[in-house]
Amino acid sequence: MHRRSFGLVLACLCVGQVTLQAQDFNLFDRNVQIHGFASQGFVYTNTNNWLTMNTSQGSAAFTDFGFNVSTSVTDKLRVGAQAYDHNIGNLGEWHPILDWAYADYRFKPWLSFRGGKVMTVIGLYNDTQDFEFLNAFALLPQSVYPIDMHDANIAHEGGDLYGDIPLVRRSGTLSYTVYGGERRDSYYGGYPYALRETVAPVNLTSNGGPQYGADLRWYTPLRGLLAGISRVNQHDEGKGTFVPFWDPAAGKIPYWEHTKQYWLHQYYGQYSKGSLHLDSEYRRTYINAVDFNGTSTGQADVRGWYVSGSYRVAKRLQLGSYYSHYTITTHYGGILGMAFPPRVGTSLPENHIYDKVVSARIDLNRFWNVKLEGHFMDGYGDGPYPDGFYPGDNPAGFKPNTNALVVRTGLNF
Amino acid sequence: MKKQRLLPLVAAGLMIFASVDSVARDVKVIANASVKVDTISAAELKRVFLEERISLGDGTHVEPVLEKDGPVHEAFLQEYLGISEDDLHMYYRALVFTGRGFTPKVLGSDAEVVAYVARTRGAIGYVSSAASAEGVKTITIGVASGASERKLITRVEPDYPETLKRLNIGGTVRLRVSISANGNVENVQLLGGNPILGESAAAAVKQWVYTACRSRTIAEVSILFDGQR
Repeated sequence: MHRRSFGLVLACLCVGQVTLQAQDFNLFDRNVQIHGFASQGFVYTNTNNWLTMNTSQGSAAFTDFGFNVSTSVTDKLRVGAQAYDHNIGNLGEWHPILDWAYADYRFKPWLSFRGGKVMTVIGLYNDTQDFEFLNAFALLPQSVYPIDMHDANIAHEGGDLYGDIPLVRRSGTLSYTVYGGERRDSYYGGYPYALRETVAPVNLTSNGGPQYGADLRWYTPLRGLLAGISRVNQHDEGKGTFVPFWDPAAGKIPYWEHTKQYWLHQYYGQYSKGSLHLDSEYRRTYINAVDFNGTSTGQADVRGWYVSGSYRVAKRLQLGSYYSHYTITTHYGGILGMAFPPRVGTSLPENHIYDKVVSARIDLNRFWNVKLEGHFMDGYGDGPYPDGFYPGDNPAGFKPNTNALVVRTGLNF
Repeated sequence: MKKQRLLPLVAAGLMIFASVDSVARDVKVIANASVKVDTISAAELKRVFLEERISLGDGTHVEPVLEKDGPVHEAFLQEYLGISEDDLHMYYRALVFTGRGFTPKVLGSDAEVVAYVARTRGAIGYVSSAASAEGVKTITIGVASGASERKLITRVEPDYPETLKRLNIGGTVRLRVSISANGNVENVQLLGGNPILGESAAAAVKQWVYTACRSRTIAEVSILFDGQR
C-alpha cells in the first residue's frame, strides 16, 4: 500500500513537472487554467498512534492530491472546479471529493457573489488547509484545524456574498464574507470514523445539514497586520445503523442523531513583515446533540488556540514554531449519561492536547518543498470530537505524552 | 601604483552598479488601448495586480500581465506591490487553489509583454522605460490618490546653472518621484524637460522630505526654471 502511495505521488510529481509549462490554454477565446498539487507525508510517533495512522511503527499513509480547472466566462463571471483525494490512515481512503465547484460573479469591489460548492471561510486557513505549500508547517495547528475534521468544515453547498469596504480616514479595509448552504460530511471523515470505533459502534452513512455564517476581517492601516472574526451556525442530522448496546439482541437497527445547538466561532490575528510571519487564532466549537435515536444527549465544548511564528532565514529555508492548545469537556445525558460521567477536568490528559512544534521548510524550487517537523504533545484528548487520537487505533490504551516526527513533501503547479 | 590601478576598476564597478540600479528602477506601466484612463493611483494598480479589482473606477475591465523574473519585474514588485517574488507566487497560488483568482500571464521579455498587451483587451503590464510602447498606451501612476495627500515638509530649491541662466535657457522639468513610507525621496526619474536642468532639479528633489504614510507613493513633480527672471 505504501509503495502504491509513493508511486502515485511520484507520478503526480513527474506529471506536475512536465505540465509546469502547460498549465493554460485558450478555449473559445477564453483562457483556461489547470493547476494541481500533491503531497506525501511520513509520520513516526514514539507512543500513541496518531491521526488514524499506525504511526508508532512509522506510517507513510499520508497522501493527498488535487487539481482544478477554471476560466472566465465573461469579464465578471468566473467558473471552476477542483477535485481532491486523500488517504490519511483510515481517513479519505482514496475516495475523491469535489473540493469546490462554483461560479463567481463580481458586481462591485464591495459586493460579489459565488455559488455552488464553495470553500468555507473560517479564520485564517480553513479554506486553504489542503494546500500545505502555502504554509510553513507540515501540519497546521490541530487544535484549530484538525485534519480529521477536514471533510466536515472545508466547504458548503450554497452561496457567499463577499466584498471589500475601504474605511474612512485611512483606517484600512474591511473584508466580509456572508454565506449559507448545506454541509455534507464524508463517510470517510473523522467523525464517522470515531463513531465506528467506539464501544457502541455506529455506522454513520450520512451526516450534515444547513449551515450559515460570516467572516469579517480588518486589514489594518499598519501594513501586514490583520485581525478577524468568524462565526458558523449549523444544524446536523446523522443517519446510519447500529446495534443498541442496551439491547444487543435487537440486532442492527436504523440510527439517527441530530444537533440542537451547533456553533463555532473563531478570533484571529496575523502579522507579517518581510521574512517574519506571526499568526494566532482561537476557536471554540460547541455541540449540543440528541444521540442514539433520542435515548441520549451529549454536549461537547471544544476550545483550541495557537500562536505560531515563522521566519525565512534564507531564500530556500524557512524555520517555524507553534504552540497549539486544545481542550474538550463533555456532558452526557440519558443512557449515555449512565455509562459515561461528565468530563470537565481539562488538566487531565484525556481532555487536552498541548502540542509544541518546531518545523523547517526547505524549498527545493518554487514548486517543490520538503518539511521536517517535530511535535511534542502532552495529552491525547480522546473525546467524541475528532482530535487525532482514537481508542480504536490504540487498543492497549493511551500513553499521556506523544512525540512525533512528521516529514512531508509537496508539489504544486 | 596599486591604488591607481584600482581606481578605474572601482569607477567602472560604480558605473555598472549605477546602471543596474537605474535599469531596475526604470519601469513604465502600459495598457491595452481599451483601457480608457491615462492615470491610475499606485494603490489602484496594486489592487489590479493582486486581482482585488477586475475593473477600474470607470468600469474598464483590466487583466494584469507579468514579466518573467528579472530587473524589470523586481523593480515593479518593489515599487508598486511591495512584496517579494516568492510571496507574490504564494499569493496567486492561494487564489488559484481556492478558486478565487487566476495566475496572470507571465511573459519572457519587454517585447512579448508589449505584443500581448497590444492585442489583449484590458491587459495592463509593465516594461522597462526604454522599451518601445508601440501599439499600447503608457499609464501614468501615482499622483491621483497617494502623493497628492502627502505634504511636503522640507523643500530644497534647485540650482539654476549659471551658464544656462545667462543664455536664457529654461523651461519646465517634469520628474517622477518615488517617496518612501517614511517620507524620504527614494528615486527621481526625468520625464521631460532640459536634461541639464533635470539633473539639477533631481539633485534638489532628492533632498525633499514628505510626511510619512503607510506605503510608498509616486508623485509627478514639475519645476519651472524661468530664464527671463
